[in-house]
Amino acid sequence: MTAQRIECDVAIVGAGPAGLSAATAASMSGARTLIIDAYVEAGGQYWMQASDGRLIGSQAAEGREAIHRAEASGVQFLKSAEVFAAYPDFQLFTNGRAGTARIDCRTVVVASGAHDRTTAFPGWTLPGVMTAGGGQRLAKTQGVVPGMRIVLSGSGIFLYAVADTLLDKGAEIVALIEMRRNETVLARHLARFPERWLEAAALFGRVRRRVRRWLNGRVVVEALGVERVGAVRVAKLDGSGIETIEGIDSLLTSYGFQPQIEVTSLLGCAHRFDDALGGWHVEADPATGRTSVDGVFAAGEVTGVSGARPAQLSGTLAGYAAARALGLAVPPEATASLVRQLARARAFGQGLGRIFAPLPELSRLARDDTVLCRCEEVTVGEVRAAVREGARSLYGSKIWTRAGMGRCQGRMCRMPMTMTLVAATGRPASEIGYNQPRVPARPVPVDAVLDALSADATSNCSTPASNRLNVSPAKL
Amino acid sequence: MTGNVTIMVNGTRLRCAATTTVAAALLANGHGPGLRKTEKLETPRGLFCGMGLCYDCLVTIDGRPGQRACMTPVSDGMRIETP
Repeated sequence: MTAQRIECDVAIVGAGPAGLSAATAASMSGARTLIIDAYVEAGGQYWMQASDGRLIGSQAAEGREAIHRAEASGVQFLKSAEVFAAYPDFQLFTNGRAGTARIDCRTVVVASGAHDRTTAFPGWTLPGVMTAGGGQRLAKTQGVVPGMRIVLSGSGIFLYAVADTLLDKGAEIVALIEMRRNETVLARHLARFPERWLEAAALFGRVRRRVRRWLNGRVVVEALGVERVGAVRVAKLDGSGIETIEGIDSLLTSYGFQPQIEVTSLLGCAHRFDDALGGWHVEADPATGRTSVDGVFAAGEVTGVSGARPAQLSGTLAGYAAARALGLAVPPEATASLVRQLARARAFGQGLGRIFAPLPELSRLARDDTVLCRCEEVTVGEVRAAVREGARSLYGSKIWTRAGMGRCQGRMCRMPMTMTLVAATGRPASEIGYNQPRVPARPVPVDAVLDALSADATSNCSTPASNRLNVSPAKL
Repeated sequence: MTGNVTIMVNGTRLRCAATTTVAAALLANGHGPGLRKTEKLETPRGLFCGMGLCYDCLVTIDGRPGQRACMTPVSDGMRIETP
């Protein structure tokens, strides 16, 4: 294990569209900029890069360009590094294949992204049941499909994007099952955004032509199988119209995305709840990404799920704001136009979020013996019993039952826990709350922590050329 | 492109691309989708989130238990056990 200590002006957490844009903007403004990413290759979940370097699809190409722009602007990359601790005195600790690192920075931009929201239903822990985002990642980065006869179920346009990828890879989409029945509302929303028509029409066209079945207003109520999923039971939300779809080898499910708020939580930022924005997200000023904590900025999905385009725009704005907070001169020309573009791009994405927001009926899919917390294997019945005994919040239920206390730190069960508690207590999700993450935010070996703490060989992020030319050192 | 490597899965030799993850190498070669049994209810689990967050795809790699198959790239001579 090697431990390194890195000093920089701006540390960016996450190298997706928001993080890469923020890093480029900060570095171009003259800040010594470090970008930290959990994966082998930068790009995040939208600009995913294939692990063998092949370029598949326009998103990967766009992502590669953004990565090159960041590199060319002087951004230093720390890849395969997961943040396991973040302290308000601007110290971050990471661990990964490259060893551990202690990062001392002056401002932070959190662009930690989002991951699939899933609900709990009987059979959801069976092998072969995956998140749609997981299936997409497997196909796009590894060129491997999760199965050959796949059911996609949940809610949102992302199901179409995943279907498109998997169909291109030769898998059969046995059924695409959308919880909502909202074509009119969707058409009305799309009508307001002509700039997205071509893209939307092409995607719907390609997918609807090729999927075997397309069902609206239905959900998978149970996954069936012994060692792996082999069939699903599908019904309307009121439980009627039940049918079984057999002969499948994979079920991919997603009810939109939820922001990854552990780093913003560790840094003490204020958060708020909105189902249409993925649930809990960090509060950030749209024009600057400024959070409630001085020197901490946020961009992209962590500020409320709205898509890759807003992520890019908010990233650029947050990168500039982080540099400006250090007294660096930032090119003023683009900002107003970026803010306008961001508002429109967000309206599109957040409108979709509202149209496809999870319905409360989803909490009824789980039975008392359905596992709710996958890590600690706590059932829905145990959580309901805790509520009867007096648990009123997510944190209370965690203390009562251990749900949310496992390796994933309550990420996977956040939505089903919240839905179960809203149904059982009658309180709104905003009052149910979320689990404050604890250090280490991700499981990390003790020797790695010791390494990181004792790291004293300091490497400085190199100063970008723009800084050396344009900004007087006195300003730093 | 960096060619292929050899890994050992439960004692059986397997050739796979050097750039792949353990999870992808296993799935592409007919292992899984179940990768382990849970401690309490002893039910099978496999890849779930596929992006390093859920810790369901845990396997033993070179003697170290609890490693995420989805986050670990293969390397030549790597030994993987799926209990």
